[in-house]
Amino acid sequence: MTLRAQLSILAVLGVLLAALGTTLLLSSDMRDTSAWALASPFMMLSFIGVGLFAWWRRPHSGFGALMTAVGFVFFLSAPAASDAPALYGLGYLFGSLFLGTVVHMLLAFPEGRLDGRRERWLVGSVYGLVLGVNLVLLLLNGPLEDQAHPRNAYVVWDATGVAKVVLGIAEGLAVVLAAAVIATMVRRWRAASAPERRSLGPVLWTGAGLILGVGISLGLDLVGAGDTVAMVPDLVALACLLALPYVFLVGLGRRRWFRAGAIGSLIQRLSAAHRQGSVREALAEALGDPSLRLLYWLPRDQRYVDLEGRAVELPDAESGRGVTEVRAEGRRIAALVHDAALLDDPDLVEAAGAAASLALENERLGAELRARVEELEQSRAGIIAFGLAERRRFERDLHDGAQQRLVALGLQVGMARSKLREDPARAEGLLDGAREELRQAQQELRELARGLHPAVLTERGLAAAIAGLVERATVPVEVRAMPPERLPSAVETVAYFVVAEGLTNVAKYAGARHASVAVERINGHAVVEVRDDGVGGADPAVGSGLRGLADRVGAVDGRLEIVSPPGAGTVVRARIPCASS
Amino acid sequence: MRVVLADDSVLLREGIARLLSEAGLEVVAQAGDAADLLRKVNAHRPDVAVVDVRMPPTHTDEGLKAAAEIRERWPETGVLVLSQYVEEAYAVELLAGDAGGIGYLLKDRVADLDRFVDSVRRVGTGGSALDPEVVSRLLGRHRRDDPLAELTPRERDVLELMAEGRSNHAIAEGLVVTDRAVEKHVTSIFGKLGLPPTQDDHRRVLAVLTYLQA
Repeated sequence: MTLRAQLSILAVLGVLLAALGTTLLLSSDMRDTSAWALASPFMMLSFIGVGLFAWWRRPHSGFGALMTAVGFVFFLSAPAASDAPALYGLGYLFGSLFLGTVVHMLLAFPEGRLDGRRERWLVGSVYGLVLGVNLVLLLLNGPLEDQAHPRNAYVVWDATGVAKVVLGIAEGLAVVLAAAVIATMVRRWRAASAPERRSLGPVLWTGAGLILGVGISLGLDLVGAGDTVAMVPDLVALACLLALPYVFLVGLGRRRWFRAGAIGSLIQRLSAAHRQGSVREALAEALGDPSLRLLYWLPRDQRYVDLEGRAVELPDAESGRGVTEVRAEGRRIAALVHDAALLDDPDLVEAAGAAASLALENERLGAELRARVEELEQSRAGIIAFGLAERRRFERDLHDGAQQRLVALGLQVGMARSKLREDPARAEGLLDGAREELRQAQQELRELARGLHPAVLTERGLAAAIAGLVERATVPVEVRAMPPERLPSAVETVAYFVVAEGLTNVAKYAGARHASVAVERINGHAVVEVRDDGVGGADPAVGSGLRGLADRVGAVDGRLEIVSPPGAGTVVRARIPCASS
Repeated sequence: MRVVLADDSVLLREGIARLLSEAGLEVVAQAGDAADLLRKVNAHRPDVAVVDVRMPPTHTDEGLKAAAEIRERWPETGVLVLSQYVEEAYAVELLAGDAGGIGYLLKDRVADLDRFVDSVRRVGTGGSALDPEVVSRLLGRHRRDDPLAELTPRERDVLELMAEGRSNHAIAEGLVVTDRAVEKHVTSIFGKLGLPPTQDDHRRVLAVLTYLQA
């Protein structure tokens, strides 16, 4: 059965029970002509009607159900109008139960749940008191009502004196409980954010009026004040109770009215806004949430940044913050991070976001630019640091390698020269040594030069240069793909170093048995990939080689990606923009 | 003459040791780093320590620091510093205060066996040896009202060799002139540059360097 059908059945049931209650009231000899008794069928219909409406609009909140329950609880007291003693006693027993349900509803507003232990304890006490005291009065033959009423059919022990004492204590307790309930409601109000207050306000204040009226009325009764004085708070309580469902409806309407006004002034403010950050201020004011934050979506990086372009994470579900995405023409442009209470009215937040979408897109572009500038600054600093480190490395390599060899070569030539006449055989040996030093110095210089920039790359292109790397690799390397044509020289150089560094890492750390290399052109990018089947777990934050490589790739606007789960090999992949010429 | 050698390249160390031995010097110990060098100088108290500038662990200027310490703790031991590059700043640092028993040469100079051995001997006997490249760089500096411009080409040659730390006799041999002629040139140079005359070779070096740096 659909929710709608269930609610319809409840509505019909409510109407039938209200009719039954009215019939009971009219068919009795009309002892009780108090305003409360007369208003009872009307209140029953009000609470059931508005409650079912709220239930239907927001089925996930328990609030509508609670309000509906208040209506049905009113019906439980209807038998009190009966002339039959058995029925009368039953109606009397449940005569005040509605107070428990109303307190329950108020403290559970607007979610329909009782959040704290304190609240649950309070509601439980009210239920216990309103049922318990009537039960005691029935069983101990206490005074039931001021006016005439049918015989009490449930007396088990005739102890009117004891019952009166219990009644006094119960009235005192009720006053204390009323004060506690009002205190809880005031505390909720004070803890609420501005948007929360907007939705809490009408119901909370009317509810407070009701509890206050009941409390004062009971208090006056307790000190023995006359019925005439006690009538004033009693009537206030009744008025508040009658008004409660309608005040709730006014709250809903007020929100709609507020929404139209908020969006109107938002549009006005946005059209006058030129300062950086003014969109946030305008939205914060329109939504009545000073804590509102704006995050801008960077589609290229798939992440949010703030207005300054700094990366920001969305808050998680437990943070008490709500997130509403803003889209324009189907694209995500921003996210509003706001008070979770605004999620009660998602239409308002979405409407505000839509109204601000043009201004948001402008600010988003600014934020994207700033993010990009920061990225460039970082990568520029990285490139400079990388360049200096490379220079130091080359200087060290030269110093420890070729230069030492050349000094040793000079030494041997010098010694050979001094032995030339007196010991030609010795001189020959020294010269052989010198030739070996020379050969090794040449070898070291060649390797150093290739590390600076391999000549074959310029002359023969990427495929030939990578073939050279593959040949010198320590494990078998398969070349899976190579572009058939030459790429722009900057792209070729970076691609070469990606492969060189990738294969160096394979040799040094991977413990791999096999590796593969691929360079492909995909969607205006050169995608360079080095894959191995080694131990994985490579971390660019640790090795300076991979970090330097990321800077090098970043320098030509590319991105370096390293996928290296422990035990499952490593993939080093660079995507370098490379428009077809 | 007793020598201690320090260089982290075994290849070069062995080569230099061999050539010094063949030239009749006694290599009493070899060291691969600065700490080792200081230990061995302390143990052997050699006439001269031949020290590479860059050594483990940092491969920067361990040799220079060790040289300064040797000068401080064992003044009777001369120190000849070898380097892949010569920097005037290093030369000035080394010679600060006293040029006696100090040498600073490009490593390449080992290929010229006789001159190298001569430099080692000079430093070992309290003299000095400054690399010609440092000297020519100091001489090549441009300055206003340059008194060096007044020197004759021959006087300039003499000044260079003097700055390298050579004695009058060695200068005479190098230039193939008589000792007497060199003495005349030296007197003339000191006069033109306004330096107080001195006969002591390494004091002469210091005077010339001080002048050139000013």
